[in-house]
Amino acid sequence: MPKLAKNIRVLRDIKARQGVQDNEIVRRAYLYVARNQSLPPQVRYQAQLQLNTFGRYTRPTTVKNRCTESGRGRGIMSEFGLCRFQFRLKALKGELVGVRKASW
Amino acid sequence: MTTIPRSYVRALTRIRCSIFQTTFNPSSQRTGAKYLRAPLRGPAMVQYYPKPEAFSVTKLNKIYPGWNLVDIDEVVRLNDVESKKKRGKGAPKKAKTPAESRRARKKR
Repeated sequence: MPKLAKNIRVLRDIKARQGVQDNEIVRRAYLYVARNQSLPPQVRYQAQLQLNTFGRYTRPTTVKNRCTESGRGRGIMSEFGLCRFQFRLKALKGELVGVRKASW
Repeated sequence: MTTIPRSYVRALTRIRCSIFQTTFNPSSQRTGAKYLRAPLRGPAMVQYYPKPEAFSVTKLNKIYPGWNLVDIDEVVRLNDVESKKKRGKGAPKKAKTPAESRRARKKR
């Protein structure tokens, strides 16, 4: 089985995923305060400032699904977590259950 | 057709909320509850990539310095690099100063 291609982009994405998990609960708490209209504006503003102090790799939007085989960032089939080429290779090898080459 | 006064509708909603234990929020104020209610995404995110191998040749060599196991893939890679260098296809030299970096050349 080929190893996961560990290029810098994959490593960065792994870091981002870990960061999101580590900071998720605290960020949610700040988000709750910042978006709550029943709280005084000053408190909400402070919460928003706190949210801005979090690093780049703590936001879920920085996480990108990359190919789990080749690390490619585009043309990913999210159902399999593979890029289109790796999907083809694996499907032809018969490693993807229920996937067959179409023929008619 | 009879029209129902607004205050009646409001009172009805209030009672309905108390019965079904939902929040009575007639002005549709944003409470931020959705950030607390939403399921956490982190645990699933972390599991996306397959876990790194528990035992690799380099790891075993680090744990047991005397073993000196040979990583065939690594040997093949080093041989490739060597042969490429011989043919003049190796990696370019590192820039010593910012002036000779490729990025500086590009900007011109």
